[in-house]
Amino acid sequence: MKPDNHERNHALAAEYVVGTLHGAARRRFERWMMVSPKLRRQVWLWERRLQPFNKSVPSMQPPADAWHAVERRLFPSSVAAPAANAKTDPWWQPALPWRWTTGIAVLGLMALLIWTPVPPEATVSGLIGVVQGAQAQPLWVLNASRGDHSLMLRSLPPTLPASHDQDFELWLLPESGVPVSLSVLPTQGAELRVTLSNEQVRQLRQSRSLAISLEPHGGSATGQPTGPVVYQTKLVDL
Amino acid sequence: MAAREGMLVDQLAKVAQGDRAAFAGLYQQTSRAVYGQCMQLLRDNDEANDVLQETYIQVWHHAGEYHAERGSVLTWVMSICRYRGLDALRRRRIDVEFDSVEQNHACDKPGPMQNASDMVDRQRLSDCLRDLDERYRNSIEMAYFRGFTHQELAVAMGQPLGTTKSWVRRGLSVLRRCLGP
Repeated sequence: MKPDNHERNHALAAEYVVGTLHGAARRRFERWMMVSPKLRRQVWLWERRLQPFNKSVPSMQPPADAWHAVERRLFPSSVAAPAANAKTDPWWQPALPWRWTTGIAVLGLMALLIWTPVPPEATVSGLIGVVQGAQAQPLWVLNASRGDHSLMLRSLPPTLPASHDQDFELWLLPESGVPVSLSVLPTQGAELRVTLSNEQVRQLRQSRSLAISLEPHGGSATGQPTGPVVYQTKLVDL
Repeated sequence: MAAREGMLVDQLAKVAQGDRAAFAGLYQQTSRAVYGQCMQLLRDNDEANDVLQETYIQVWHHAGEYHAERGSVLTWVMSICRYRGLDALRRRRIDVEFDSVEQNHACDKPGPMQNASDMVDRQRLSDCLRDLDERYRNSIEMAYFRGFTHQELAVAMGQPLGTTKSWVRRGLSVLRRCLGP
């Protein structure tokens, strides 16, 4: 439906700027903006109205290499790359598509280096994620071991209970493709160890992203999330 | 308009003509505020760094499209950053920590770009927000500061999806009447 009146346009422009207009609706709106100067002006008006919000956000010093990275990306032939960039310019970062194209060749090699059986003393600790609740209280700790392809799930008391006929289900979110079910989550201080397949290890290593949805008791019957995604978390190096 | 804003407009005009020194100056003047916003939304150093870079790449390519209707230069740059940050948030489905709304107000210190005009605008928005129904205000602030979708708002606030959609819509409508043109 095309926005067809002043009030509707205002409402859509406001939700576009606030960010609640998303997905296909956002894309449609951006297309309408391309052909409607009036709609663009309403968006600009909301950007100006809400700009004081931005002023209340504390400023932060960007990473030292960020400016050099901008220069390198804009003027590659005239800017030398400082050696220090490697540490803050990780290969797994998905925002820069070129990283994938240049990184795919080394990805298999890295996966081999990281995940083929190696002496335990040669491995690093692994990845960890903490799922937090509404008041930033920890609900689950997720620990991915690099040694044996396992994911340890531990619920922390006090656990947020699902209702009697529902369970929380853990999903791996690959960089592309559909979510992969890993397990129904333990409750009440329980621990559960999930052994990941090689493919799951590879996907988790890439995306590091997990989500938790609310499903019927025993987990989704369809193999895909059917209830709302209630939490998402991202694993970080331990 | 403050002298600082005039300087930023001058720098942006030079950037539009391909002046790299002016671009560096603009980055120096604005990047702390922009990176603060990236971090507020994304809560991840690497991802905030990427969005910061994407923002300034857009600034370089589109500097000539800026005009006063977009607000101040900083408003324009921050808007670019916000939309790139929201895209990144949705694309990467990054961890959404449902922290308390109060934390969004933890730091209300004036930034380096502060000036008298900002103070008036801030006070006006602050007054309008204060008069807003708390549920509407919380919905709008959680969406703006944390990039929550309607669905995430519903989960975080323990309300049906239709209710939080309605709160956002009504809140923005009241805010618009209060803030005026």
